[in-house]
This record gives sequence, C-alpha cells and structure tokens, in this order.
Amino acid sequence: MAISRRSFAEQLALLAAAPWFAEDLPPLPAKQQQQTQEPSAMAKALAETVRLRYPDRFSPEDLAAITRGIDGRLRAIDRLYQTALTNADEPDFVYSVYRGAD
Amino acid sequence: MAAADFAFRSIVELGRLLRQKQTSATELANYFLDRLERIGPRYNAVVTITRERATAEAAQADREIKAGRWRGPLHGIPYGVKDLLATKDYPTTWGAEPYRQQQFDADATVIERLGAAGAVLVGKLAMVELAGGMGYNQANASFTGPGKTPWNPGYWSGGSSSGPGAAVAASLVPFAIGSETSGSILTPAAYCGVTGLRPTYGLVSRHGAMALAWTMDKLGPLGRSAEDCGIVLQVIAGKDPKDPSSVDRGFQTPQPGKRKFRIGIPKGADKDIQAEVAANFRAALKVLADTVDIVEDVELPDLPYGAVAGMIIAAEGASAFDDLLKDGRLSQLTAPEDRTGGYPALAVSAPDYLRALRARRPMQKALDDFLKQFDALAVPTRTTVATPLDKSFREGWPGVTGGANVIGPTNVVGVPGISVPNGFGVENLPTGLSFTARAFDERKLVALARLYQDRTDWHTRRPQID
Repeated sequence: MAISRRSFAEQLALLAAAPWFAEDLPPLPAKQQQQTQEPSAMAKALAETVRLRYPDRFSPEDLAAITRGIDGRLRAIDRLYQTALTNADEPDFVYSVYRGAD
Repeated sequence: MAAADFAFRSIVELGRLLRQKQTSATELANYFLDRLERIGPRYNAVVTITRERATAEAAQADREIKAGRWRGPLHGIPYGVKDLLATKDYPTTWGAEPYRQQQFDADATVIERLGAAGAVLVGKLAMVELAGGMGYNQANASFTGPGKTPWNPGYWSGGSSSGPGAAVAASLVPFAIGSETSGSILTPAAYCGVTGLRPTYGLVSRHGAMALAWTMDKLGPLGRSAEDCGIVLQVIAGKDPKDPSSVDRGFQTPQPGKRKFRIGIPKGADKDIQAEVAANFRAALKVLADTVDIVEDVELPDLPYGAVAGMIIAAEGASAFDDLLKDGRLSQLTAPEDRTGGYPALAVSAPDYLRALRARRPMQKALDDFLKQFDALAVPTRTTVATPLDKSFREGWPGVTGGANVIGPTNVVGVPGISVPNGFGVENLPTGLSFTARAFDERKLVALARLYQDRTDWHTRRPQID
C-alpha cells in the first residue's frame, strides 16, 4: 500500500511520541526511513537542554535515541497546526472552581 | 463433578453451578488459585496471587449464598486484575521494577465494585511496565518477563494487558480487568483468542488505577465471551465521585434481538495484511451476512489522530511519571528503549500540548458524525497474529504493510470497542475481529459480538495446556 506524505508525517508523529503505536502502522519505505536518520538542528538543540538538565545521566547512545525521539515529535507538530482552530476552541477539559464546606 | 470441569467455563456457567450448589465459591477460588500458581509462570502472566484475600472473600460469598442472599451473576466468581489497580494488603507494581514494593492503603473503585458484587479476587496479573508509557517496542518489557500467549508460548500475549489476556486464555481466571490507553485491551484479546471490551472513556472509574494519560486511560473486562464481558461491565460502570471524569451512565446487557445492524468497513481494512487474518475477517462477515448491511470502503475523517495522540500521551505520561524522570529510576526498567523513552517528552511545549487538546474537540465531533452513519465499524483487530518474542514489533511480520488504523483514532476520542476471536492464523495463533461504535454504544457492540458468538465457536476453543 502506497504511503502518502501526510500518512508518513502521521507515522513519524506516532513513532516519535508513542512508539507502541508502531504496531498499528505499516513499515516505512526504505527511502523515507533514510530521511529520518539526520535529526534537525532544533531537535539537537532541544536534546541538549535535556542533557543539561541531567548532565551526568546519558551515554552518547542514550542522547542519540532522545534526539531522534524529539526530532520525530517536531515533525509531527506541523500536522497539529494544520487543523484550523479559532480563539473560541478550548482544550477538551473543563476547569471547575472549588468551594469547600462553610 | 471433576475439578477439571471448572476450567474454560463462562461466568454464566460457573454462576449456574454455584446457584445449583454443585460447587462453592471456596472450591472455585481454590481451583483457580491452583491454576494461577501452577500454570501462570509458563506465560509470565501473574505478579501476585492473593490467596488470603480470595479465601476470605470466597468464605463470605459461601455464607451469603447459603443464607439465600444472592448478590448477582458475579457472586462467588473468581477474577484477576492487571497489576495497575490498587489493592490494599498486596503490592501494586505497575509491571515496573521501581514500583515492585509499592503499597496502597485502599482498593481501586473497580475492585470495590467487583467486591460489592461478590466477586473473588484471586490474583494480580502481569502487564507491560508502566502500561507501555515509555515507548517499548518488543515484548520483553516487564519485570515478570515477556507475556506469552497460551496458544504458542514462543509468541507475545499482547500488551499492555499481557497478563489478563494470557490468564483468561489459559483459564487461570474466568475473567480479568485490563486497561487501554491505545490498544492495550483489544490487542491482548486478539493475540490470546479471548474477548476484550474497551468501554467509552469515563464509563468506568479510573480511581485507583495507574495513570498513563489521564484523558485517554480506560478500564475494561477481558473474558471468555461478549456476554461475560457485558456482565462485568454492568457491575463496574457508573459515576464515581472519586473520578471526576467518570460519567453518570450505566450499562445494561442487551437482550438478543432481531434487528439488522449497519456495519462500515474502513477502506483498506483487509488489504495487504496477513492472508489468514484477512480470510478470517471476510469469513466472519459472511457469518453475519443475513443480519448486517455492509458498507464497504468507508473513510474516517482525515485528521491528525496520530499527532494528537502522540502529543497527549507523551506530555501526560511524562508528567505522570515525572518522579522517575527526575530521579533517574527509568534506568531500572526492563526494556532498554524504555530507559530513555520518557525523556523526549521533556521537550514538549505547553502550547503544543494544549494545541493537541484543542484539536481533539473538533476531532471528536467529526468522528462522531462519521460513526453515527453506522451501528459499528468492523476491522480485523490486528493486521497480523501475535509477534514472535525474539523480534521487535516492527520486525515481527515484515511483509505486512496494510490495514486500517482504527485503534489509534478511536482511542484518541475515547469511543468503545470490542474484540472477539474469529479463527486462527499462522503458527496456530488466534486472530481477532473488532467492532467500534459511537460513545456509550457498548450495548450495540455487545449485541453484535454475541450475535457472532452465538453462530461460531471460536471463543470456546481451548489452547493445549494441561
């Protein structure tokens, strides 16, 4: 089954943020997999903020995995913003004010 | 009656034996406690056997039944729970080494409700660590080892409710409670050849359950049939003041009817998937042919389900387990990929997370408008049979490139689904048929699944165990 660019972006989003969704997905074509190999400069910068938060915690392999995860999520964010929303579209939770017993 | 006759019996059958005084709650509890102890380790299905509690609850059930006080269809019936539900007096491990000794001082609401119905808790069942929240990509992701399907222990039982799936399939318990954030009830149901029901978000209280993603977690039953799952859902559904997301709705098991169902088949649902899975799916539809109107090639609204789900689970999961991230105990997890899987979420921005929550509102409406055209969607629950234990999910069945992703979108918006066994594929592994419906349409799902199970015997098949 051919994978559209939009589907591909969806797959990246899923794999980056929730890899267990990978079970729902067909394998990425080899060409597209190759495109995922070099994380963006933004992903590298954000991964560096994670490293700075825990400077003694990660091996180079750990950091590479974290960078790939961030990179995939950044690619997915574009898709989030393609859905048109207005100022009146609120998050799907409702804050309730609290008043305890008098 | 020979003791072995209790195995693979439905809730309805065991209840009949209890009412007819052909057995006692104590005898049933001891029988299933023995099976959990003797057979459970073969499938890495059990964390804790709750013998003392089961003995006490069964004795109380026997006293009440003897006195003529019948609490209902679960009175005296043993069951197990995924080990993410809090229980007093026993550890609640969440399947994860850092929580191996964790204790709570109260039961989860679901366990309270089952106890009030007279059910007998015999065991806490294995699960993927943290319900898969750190991104596992292969079966060995729990301190109890990889869950194994009783149909062929070289293959996965599915996740993250790996123990409930295997335990019901091997009849270590008559039914179990699992949880699903995205696929964690339906997947083990399919891979283990049992029935699994994922309720609408909010229908069942989450109080006392481990949180992975507060706005996506659901609790539901796995059992030997849709009828059994309906019986359990009837007991556990309903408003709970301790869970603000719970809704004031119950569930009544539907009576068999003669109505026709309108079923949508998503485009590509059985294309480029395992041949046996596709064949079993078409055969199942044929079984229902005279009672359903099939609409082929329907297309879900084109919306960013994956981006929204990924953002929500990542952000909520990282927050739910921020203590593990902060103190570095993620490194104690079993799956290597889980030890780093939570950190990328630290780069999620608050506006992006809120954007995902805002996008979910129109997504809910669009999917509801779509689903209201049908009584249910039908798809093969999974595009393949269970994956081999020694391979990653991606590498398990590399030739399979198709199918329709329904589990992801329907979990994002929180609508219900049910999976029933519908045959076998390669390596004697079971396959599943699933139905999905609008929010709070569990009655339609159970009715459809019962209709199918009234005409087939896949749900009565037994793996070779003893």
